[in-house]
Amino acid sequence: MIRPRERRWMAVAVAVLYVFLLAPIAIVVLAALNSGAYLRFPPEGLSLRWFVAFAESRSFTSSLRFSLKLAALATAASTVVGTMASVWIVRFSGRWRNAFRVLFVAPLAVPGILTGIALLIFFYAVGWGNTGFVGLVIGHTLICTPYVFLITSAGLLRFDRTLEEAARNLGAGALRTFWRITLPLIKGGIISGAVFAFVASYDEFNISLLLSGVGMTPLPIQLFDYLRFSFDPTAAVAGTISIGMAFVVVLVTQKLVGLDALYLGGG
Amino acid sequence: MGAPARDVLAVELVGAGPPPERRLARHAGRHVLIVPALAVLIVFFVLPYLNLTLISLMTPSHQAPYARVLTLGNYATLLRDPFTWRVIWHTLWIGVATTAICLVISYPLAYHLARAPRRLRGLLMILVISPLLVGVLIRTYGWMILLQDTGLINQTLRALHLPAAPLMYNDTGVLIGLVHVFVPFMVLSIAGTIQTIDPELEFAARSLGAGAWRTFRRVVFPLSLPGVLAGTVLVWVLTISSYVIPSLLGGFTVLTVPILVVRTVTELFNWPGGSAFAILFFVITLAVVGLYVRAMGHAGRLPDQGDDR
Repeated sequence: MIRPRERRWMAVAVAVLYVFLLAPIAIVVLAALNSGAYLRFPPEGLSLRWFVAFAESRSFTSSLRFSLKLAALATAASTVVGTMASVWIVRFSGRWRNAFRVLFVAPLAVPGILTGIALLIFFYAVGWGNTGFVGLVIGHTLICTPYVFLITSAGLLRFDRTLEEAARNLGAGALRTFWRITLPLIKGGIISGAVFAFVASYDEFNISLLLSGVGMTPLPIQLFDYLRFSFDPTAAVAGTISIGMAFVVVLVTQKLVGLDALYLGGG
Repeated sequence: MGAPARDVLAVELVGAGPPPERRLARHAGRHVLIVPALAVLIVFFVLPYLNLTLISLMTPSHQAPYARVLTLGNYATLLRDPFTWRVIWHTLWIGVATTAICLVISYPLAYHLARAPRRLRGLLMILVISPLLVGVLIRTYGWMILLQDTGLINQTLRALHLPAAPLMYNDTGVLIGLVHVFVPFMVLSIAGTIQTIDPELEFAARSLGAGAWRTFRRVVFPLSLPGVLAGTVLVWVLTISSYVIPSLLGGFTVLTVPILVVRTVTELFNWPGGSAFAILFFVITLAVVGLYVRAMGHAGRLPDQGDDR
């Protein structure tokens, strides 16, 4: 219960905080579109020259392509594995439900950089020292699966099971019920889970830092090496692409499952 | 859950259930669903961490990443080195500072979000979640543009004839970057619990004469403690294990445990030493979280009477 004067103060404070949250993101887009090498106020003018520089830079374009390929494979793998797991947990896990939920979300809860080190050393220990690309796909799948799992579970929990029972009672087999009733109804959750996984892999840094090798540089690693020595706005173009993807994901998720599914605490 | 029982009931009602042995096969078939996820987790998550623990007990070697001779020497070396403790201490401190600032910033955001009308809430959720989906590296880059010596903030200060402020390559820059990245996690944790608090309770407190601050302290905040607990633990753990932000915004001046562990493993090729450091830090983290959760549990359970009449 808040009175009008308090509400005004609250609104001002909240607005300032949202500016803080969004400022660095807006700045990256501005830097990419700015014609000068440094961002100044007032800006020197709009230009696409940094986009051209990005497109002409072999190291950036090849790592962009590499990242997209890696994200596509990790998304495919984690969507299948994560969806199957969430169906099992929501439907059949019984009293083990909570233990399994914790286990499946664990890769997000432990420090990513440690998981990267653990995988690097493990691959060497079992004689897969040069797994290269496969190692990266495995590491990314490990990180992406919990996202798919969390989002498809949210979709499944809202699912009305009497629809399946109706189909079964009308004579449909288990498989047919799944394809014709269950899958179409949880499709939204699966799609937004997959989209989330794609972006998680595209932006993943920790695992890639330790597992990427010569000739296999995902975009975040390329950016990291670049930003250590230079502030040139070519990097801002990569950032702008990533920001555009993030907005697509947010809109898709909001439309298909509702972002409320991502509340972390409480209910 | 009651679901399988309901299945059986439905089947019996229709009278077209499969014979018992086929039903058994169907029940076993279900569990195939969990096999791939479990396999991935055990082989590529549980085993690598067990292996990491094992390697931390091996002897460092110059010819290979490690020699297969068991020793506790890596831990002894770490525990005896004052430098190790300085870095651990500094990392934990950055974690506490970031968490505290995040809590102060996130609470109003979370409250506002949880109490917003439904339509507005969708939009606000988008604003809170979007930064989460923009890679950490991109957001850090945004801060670099703002904070560097020739960055926007210092340009503005100079234009106003004020002294420039060193905002990057020190703890200040690292804290700003970390707070910014982890605020959404805290907001989501707290907003989840605030939404479960009945607004009538606040209304009752206010109509009985409590001011805004007192209503917050005695009603809203205590009821939101589960979300605060979850959020602070999450943010603290994520902060102390982050690598990108301290290394880009801290330059070479800010050393944290993850930076040192990565350096030990990838630059010094001392895998046993790096593993031991990682495990030691893991244990310290678990201990701190355990103590904190217990302390918060006590604070939550005590009948909160005393200073405030």
